[in-house]
Amino acid sequence: MTADRRPALEASDLWFSYSARRPVLRGVSLTAAAGEITIVLGVSGSGKTTLLKLCKGLLGPQRGAVRVLGEPVVAGRRRRLDPGVAYIPQHLGLVRNFGVLDNVLTGALGRVAELPSLLRRLPADELRRAQELLERLGIGGKAAEKVYALSGGERQRVAIARALMQRPRLLLADEFVSQLDVLTSRDILTIVRGIAADGVAVVMTTHEMELADRYADTVIVLRDGEKVLDRRAQAETITDIALALRG
Amino acid sequence: MTGRGALAAWLRRLGGLVLIAALIATLRSVGLLDPERLVRGVRNLGIFARGLFPPDPSTLPTLGGAMLETIQIAFAGTAIGFVLALPLALLACPVLFAPPVTASVKLVLALVRTVPALFWAIVFVVAVGLGPAAGTLAVALYSLGYLGKLLYETFDGVDPEVVEAVRSVGCSRAQLAQYAILPETANGIVALLLFMFEYNVRASSIMGFVGAGGIGFYLLGYIQLLRYDLLLSGLLLTLAVVILIDWLSGLVRRMFLIPVTSAAPAE
Repeated sequence: MTADRRPALEASDLWFSYSARRPVLRGVSLTAAAGEITIVLGVSGSGKTTLLKLCKGLLGPQRGAVRVLGEPVVAGRRRRLDPGVAYIPQHLGLVRNFGVLDNVLTGALGRVAELPSLLRRLPADELRRAQELLERLGIGGKAAEKVYALSGGERQRVAIARALMQRPRLLLADEFVSQLDVLTSRDILTIVRGIAADGVAVVMTTHEMELADRYADTVIVLRDGEKVLDRRAQAETITDIALALRG
Repeated sequence: MTGRGALAAWLRRLGGLVLIAALIATLRSVGLLDPERLVRGVRNLGIFARGLFPPDPSTLPTLGGAMLETIQIAFAGTAIGFVLALPLALLACPVLFAPPVTASVKLVLALVRTVPALFWAIVFVVAVGLGPAAGTLAVALYSLGYLGKLLYETFDGVDPEVVEAVRSVGCSRAQLAQYAILPETANGIVALLLFMFEYNVRASSIMGFVGAGGIGFYLLGYIQLLRYDLLLSGLLLTLAVVILIDWLSGLVRRMFLIPVTSAAPAE
C-alpha cells in the first residue's frame, strides 16, 4: 500500500470579510502535512479563528479554496460537514448539560445510524471507544460527571476525546490552551503531539510564541489578515516570529 | 444659550404640553373626568369591599373541585401546547432551517398569539361545547403561541461555539437539535414550562367566565348574584393555589437546573 502523498490540508489564496469594508483574511495560503503540527500565530484580530473556520467549512471564502486530502471543502450554514476534520473551538464548545461520556460520544454522530442516535441509542463499540479514549487521556474515572464540574484541563481532554472520536485526518484547534496554566497546557500539548504522531495533521492557532517554538513543525504568522511568515520551525525562529508578529 | 439650544428647549416644552393635553383628552374620553361618576364609583367600591367580608367558606368544597378542574385545564393545556410548540420552535430556528421556513413558522405563531385566550375559549366552547375540554384546548393554543416564541428565542441564544463544535462532527440537523440545541437549552425549557404552567393556572381561573370550565364559572356567578363574600373565598383559594404552585415551581427549579455559568474548580 502506498502512503497518501497529498497534503492533509491545502488552503490557497483565502479571502474573507464579515463586512464589505475590511477583509479579515487577505490571500492567505497554507498547507499542513499528516503527522505534523502547524501552529498559526497572530495577535487578537489577526484572522486566526476565521482561517480555521474556513478550513472546517463553517465559513465559505469569498475567494480561494480549501482542500482536505485533495477533496474540496464546501461550506454551508446547514450542510453536513466532513467528520474527518475535527474542530475544537476556543472555548471548546462542550454541551454543558451533558456528562463527559455523552460529550465524547457526540464525536461519533457523523457515522452512526441517524434514527437510533436520535433516540440516544449509540452502538456498543462506539461506547467502548469513547471509554477507551477517556482512559487514554487520563479521565476515565470522570465519564459520568457533568462537564461544568470539571477543571479547565479536564475539559480540554474531553474536547480532545470528542475530536478523536471522529477518527480525524485533520485536527483544527483554536487557541484551546490559551486559558490554561503552564503545566496543564504542557500536558495537553504533549497529548496533541501524540495525536500528530499517529498520523493526524494538526493545525493550532495561538498567540503564545513559546508554544510555537516548542511544539510546532511549521509556524505561520498572520498579521492584519495577511500571512507574513511561513516556515519550518527551527530553534532560532522565535526572534523571527517576534519580529513578524510586531511588523 | 445658542439659538439652536433655545429652539430645542422650546420644542421639549411644547412636546411636554402636547403630552399633557393628550392625557387630559384621553381621560375625558374614557369618562374619568366626570366627578359625579367618580364619586359614585368610590361609593360602589365601598359597598363591594364591605360585601367581601367576612368571606363565606360554605362553598369551599364546591370551589375546591372547581379549582382542581382549573389546575387540570392548566396542566393539560400547557402539556399539549408544549408538545406542539417544541417542533415548531425548532422549525423556526435559523441554525437548522432556511429563512423561508423560519419566517413562515414565526408568522403562524404570531397569528396564534394575536388572539387572546378568552377568545379561543369562546371558539372552542362553540366547537366542543361547554366545559373543561374547551378551556383545555384554549389554553393549549394560547400556550402554543407563547411557548413557541419563547422557545425559538431560547434556541437562538445557544452558544454558537457549541453549535459549531457539534456541527463539526458531521451530524445531521436533527442530531444537532438533539445533541446540542435541546440539551444546551434544557434549563431554559424547564423554566419556561414552569412559568407557562403558573401563568396558565391564573388564565384558566377565568375560562369559566365563558363556560370553558374551572373556578371562573363560580366566580362569575357570585359576582352576578352580588355574593361578594363567596367571591372572596374563591379568590383566596385561587391565591393559595397560585402561591403553592409558585413554591413548588421554585422547588423543581432548584432540583433540576444547573447554574448557567459555573466556575471550574481549582486546578
